[in-house]
Amino acid sequence: MIDFDYIRATTLEEACSLISQYQDTGKILAGGQSLVTMLRQRLIRPEALIDIYGIKELDYLEFNGKDGLRMGALTKHRTLEKSPLIKEKYPVLSELEKSVASVQTRNWGTIGGNICCADPIADPIPALIALGAELKIVSMRGERTVPLENFFLDFFTTVLEPDEILSEIRVPPPAPNSAVEYMKFSTIEAGIKIVSVSVLVAVEPKSDVCRDVKIVMSAVAPIPLFARKASEFLKGKKFTDSLLKEAAEIAAGETNPTSDLHASAEYRKELVKVLVKRATRKAFEKAKAA
Amino acid sequence: MEVQRKAVQKKLLKIRVNGKDYEVMVKPNRTLLDFLRQDLGLTGTKQACMDNSCGACTVIVDKMAVKSCNILALQVYGREVTTIEGLASPDGKLTDLQEAFLDFNAFQCGFCAPGKVMSATAMLEEMEDPTEEDVRRDMEGNLCRCTGYKQYIDAIMYVVKKRKELKQQKAKEV
Amino acid sequence: MEIREKFSVMAPIKEVWNFINDPLKIADCIPGCERVEKIDERTYESLVKAGVGPIKVHFKLTTILTQIDEPRRIKMETRGADLGFAGSVTQSTEVNLKEVSENETEISYSSNITVVGRIALFGERIMRAKAKELGEQFVKNIKERLERKEVSS
Repeated sequence: MIDFDYIRATTLEEACSLISQYQDTGKILAGGQSLVTMLRQRLIRPEALIDIYGIKELDYLEFNGKDGLRMGALTKHRTLEKSPLIKEKYPVLSELEKSVASVQTRNWGTIGGNICCADPIADPIPALIALGAELKIVSMRGERTVPLENFFLDFFTTVLEPDEILSEIRVPPPAPNSAVEYMKFSTIEAGIKIVSVSVLVAVEPKSDVCRDVKIVMSAVAPIPLFARKASEFLKGKKFTDSLLKEAAEIAAGETNPTSDLHASAEYRKELVKVLVKRATRKAFEKAKAA
Repeated sequence: MEVQRKAVQKKLLKIRVNGKDYEVMVKPNRTLLDFLRQDLGLTGTKQACMDNSCGACTVIVDKMAVKSCNILALQVYGREVTTIEGLASPDGKLTDLQEAFLDFNAFQCGFCAPGKVMSATAMLEEMEDPTEEDVRRDMEGNLCRCTGYKQYIDAIMYVVKKRKELKQQKAKEV
Repeated sequence: MEIREKFSVMAPIKEVWNFINDPLKIADCIPGCERVEKIDERTYESLVKAGVGPIKVHFKLTTILTQIDEPRRIKMETRGADLGFAGSVTQSTEVNLKEVSENETEISYSSNITVVGRIALFGERIMRAKAKELGEQFVKNIKERLERKEVSS
């Protein structure tokens, strides 16, 4: 690893002050489960790390019926995985956190770090987008809110300015008769995923009409992709198998995957069709039962 | 081009390892693994993949299993770390998990062993009654090239069973 | 990694040939190319910056023109390494020109690139996506420069 300086921040204000001094020569260190890996591989070369892991004011998990979920950026993956609150209100997060990396990584890594790292195949992100998550971002200059689906620009690139810190993730309260399903495909169970899909369906239980549909796909573009056309296509219509098939085709058409070592672009497009169909159907069934 | 960096200062690390307190000056880019092995001479924890994927470097920090190769030593300032050297009691008596691993032939080359033992130790402190599926899932972060995993899982399930029996026995005695 | 492109430029073949044989003009078309220096008649050195997000690479490259068949074909070999030790690259490229008409030339190029090192291990999937993007930008730049020149002359 290259040499870098290390400063521990004890409050959010201190962290903001430090990062505004260092700007993009400094990097915010939370759990470091992505950052330290990149440092060891000499892929990034910051001059200083600002350790925010000990900032208590960024580690919390709160829910109320009006505002929904508010979690501090330092909430650990393991906390989300084991939380009875998350299991009750957002079971899709509980489920998918079980398969994020390994226990060791989940014990130390944070959801905020995961989002800011902006690896387009990160597990929680498509589900959080389907859930309508919003981010609170702070700096010495003030604060702003960004919908998670607008946060990503490219591989490992977000809209965060060099002096900004992600402080909170907000998820609206679950809508009545709605469910979010997350599905991923990998050739080995615990291996790198080829494609993943997360779908929100909110349904009118009597008429089977989809009040709201949000299809999000990852690993098929440099950023998590919201399948706008496919989602709009299904929205407002009565759920049928043939409509679902068409929506899946539209979603696959919205992707722009690249062939690589793990799968060809064609195979990814085909997988998207299958996963969108399965995940949407599951979400629909769960939404009806909710 | 390579930025000319000014010399980086070492920082103070206060840490408790296997029950003993240390105050050492370390460079910020020192991983916990290198600190344990090179600065403290505790070579039981292994470095294998250099890729953050195998878990051979697993240690316990404040009751949580973590991969020490992927954490900087300074990140665990003020925390309590347990390594494989810290499990057996001072008179050399092994823990029930360590005994079970030996009895069930869970080691072949033995390189992944410390990581496996630490992960299993932390897991059973957290979960009293895991199913085999729970155990398999929570041990996913420890890879083994030799055994095919079955012996490890059997050893852990055996310890789970024995601990439950012991607990029931104690409850009856009370 | 293989990159193949075939595209037409509204410019006479002689002009296209002169353009692609001028390393300064070609360097201008390569996204991230910072500097080109002629070492001898067939050898050039260049610095190319690339990256995504916080990951940045800075390749120092040496290109040797191995075959020059004016005005139709040029072959070259490139070798280089990242100044930050993230990896190294070797590349074989062939460019073919075909006269479609007095004022139109078809350019087809094929390039075989091998990247080794940490950047390749970690960034394989990212590299391929970026290589595709860079290739598309390169073609766009060549067309723009050649056709703009055509208009102004």
